[in-house]
This record gives sequence, C-alpha cells and structure tokens, in this order.
Amino acid sequence: MSAKHPIEIFMPPNMLKAKVGGRIGGVDVAALKRAEKALDELKGEFGAWINDDIARLVEARKTYQGAQNDENRYDLYRASHDLRGQAMTFGYPLAARIAASLCKLLDNNQGSAPQTLIDAHVDAIGIVVRQNMKDDSDRTARALAGELEARVGEVLSKNGEGA
Amino acid sequence: MSGYRFDRLKILIVDDNPHLRKLVAAILHAFGVNQIAQAANASRAWAMLRDVNPDVIILDWVMDGMSGVELAKMIRTDPGSPNPFVPIIMLTGNSLLEHVHLARDAGVNEFLAKPVSSNAILTRLLAVIEHPRPFVRTKVYFGPCRRRRRIRDEYEGPERRQPTDAGLDKKAQQETSATT
Repeated sequence: MSAKHPIEIFMPPNMLKAKVGGRIGGVDVAALKRAEKALDELKGEFGAWINDDIARLVEARKTYQGAQNDENRYDLYRASHDLRGQAMTFGYPLAARIAASLCKLLDNNQGSAPQTLIDAHVDAIGIVVRQNMKDDSDRTARALAGELEARVGEVLSKNGEGA
Repeated sequence: MSGYRFDRLKILIVDDNPHLRKLVAAILHAFGVNQIAQAANASRAWAMLRDVNPDVIILDWVMDGMSGVELAKMIRTDPGSPNPFVPIIMLTGNSLLEHVHLARDAGVNEFLAKPVSSNAILTRLLAVIEHPRPFVRTKVYFGPCRRRRRIRDEYEGPERRQPTDAGLDKKAQQETSATT
C-alpha cells in the first residue's frame, strides 16, 4: 500500500465477549423458545399494529393526492416501505408483497406514478388485511398481487426505468 | 444454553416504529437482556449515546430526519462520538446487495433484513460477540472491516480439499474403495 493512502487495520479488544462471559457451547435453544413464546404473546396485537401501518399509508396517499410533490411522494414511499417490512414480520406476507410492488413503483419511477395504480395498491393492501388473507393461498388475492406487479412493470418499462 | 450473560448487556434500539421497537425489545428480554433503551429517531439516539453507553445498537435504516446510515457514520467518525467501536446491527426492509454495501460503507457490523425473527436477532447478536471484525482506518473510511472473513480461516476441522501425497485423503480412499 502506498504511503499516500495508508490503511490501518487493528483489532479492538473484545469488550463485549468479556462482558457477557464465556460460552458453554451450542445455540441457546431455551432462549429461542422463550423468544418464540414472547412473540406468540404479542401476536394478538399484530392485527392492530398492521392496521396502524395501513392507516398511515392511507393518510400518506391522501396527502399525495392533494399535492403531488417530492416530499409527499417520499412520505408515501416511506409508508409503503415500512409496511413492506412490518407486514412480513406481523405475518401478512401477501400485504408485504403488494407493499413491495408499491415501493418499486414509487422508488424507481421518477416520472409521475399513475394515481389509479397507487390507489389500487393501497386499496388491495387494505382488503387483504381486512379479509385476513395472510399468504398467497387465495387464488384471487394471488392473481391481484401478480396483476399489480405486472402493471408496475409496464409503467416502469414505459418510463424507461426498467422493471 | 449458550452460557452468555446477556443480562449484562445494554442494547439501544433505534426505530421510528413503536411496534417494531416493542417486538425487538420483547425478543431481547426473552434472551435475558434487561437493559434496553429505545429511541424513536436517529437524532434522539445520538443525544442518548453518552448517557446510555450501549454495548450494541440495533438500528433501523429509514427514519424521519437523520437516517440510520447517517447515524452509523456519525457514530464511527464524528469527533463527538462517545464510542466509535460500538457494534451496530442494521435492521431494515432494504435487503438488496447495494443496500448491504451502503450499510457496510457507513460502518455497520451486521445487516439484518426484515422480517424480524428471534433466530435472526440471536444470530447477529452472537456474530458481534463471537466474530468481531477488525477495524479499518483509511482516509475515507473508519469502521469494521468490510471484507467478509474467509470461511476457510474459520474452519477448524480436517482439510479435506488439500490433496495428500497420494492425491486423496484417507477417508476419500476408503470411500473410493468401498464403492468400487
């Protein structure tokens, strides 16, 4: 390495390991079971949590409809992005899939995203959660998600953004 | 049982979603972590750092105001940072490879893509405890080494791919003879 751009590599003392002590060995199965139990206890709240996220998405959509500027567009993207991660964690993978499609539309399409397509995504997410369609085992819901993804692909291709 | 005293750890969760913070905190509690601080945004987390002095930070990426990536960079490089070496686990819905690289370039130790699961959190926690990365200081970067550790360096078993004098190791010879 040239002296012009020196690289210093060093290993800081592992204070973390010193703090938590030695290891007996193996994955802590008991801790994982306790964590799974804790998650099970929280699952009753997941429905309310995902509805909070949907309410935020609907509000962001309304604001964007009222004034289509970069700031409102970003807020709508943020709401869909958060919902994508949250819905999967809270056990609604189909809603997460549709939210991911909306994210793709808002993130990649620097042209104007068709309001009807945004609305279709937001409404679809509301429906699949209200109907408790958690995964894509429902044929109609699966087809709806596929259709939305295809439409997003068409819009992005048309605008030269790539699907 | 891992034998680790997770009850000695102080962990700071930074996420603007209160539900996610509650979920991650519940998982950490189940692991035995009972010193958990929470911040709803990166600016608040930065302000809390000195007082909380966390051992590990679990950090969301996309938040209002300062992003998780920006906070990670500040923690690593700002002269006012109370602990530039603190392990940072980035928890995010951004899971594309380019996002992983961006997070690494900001000085993140481990990357955890949503959905959140107890197993994934435990794995990342164990990674920062058991396999800390060396730190690198260059003109443009300070933080954990961004290169992946070579698996071969971690493997402690017999070297089966290294040819012996006979060209095959003993076991391979036995297997070969058993099948012929």
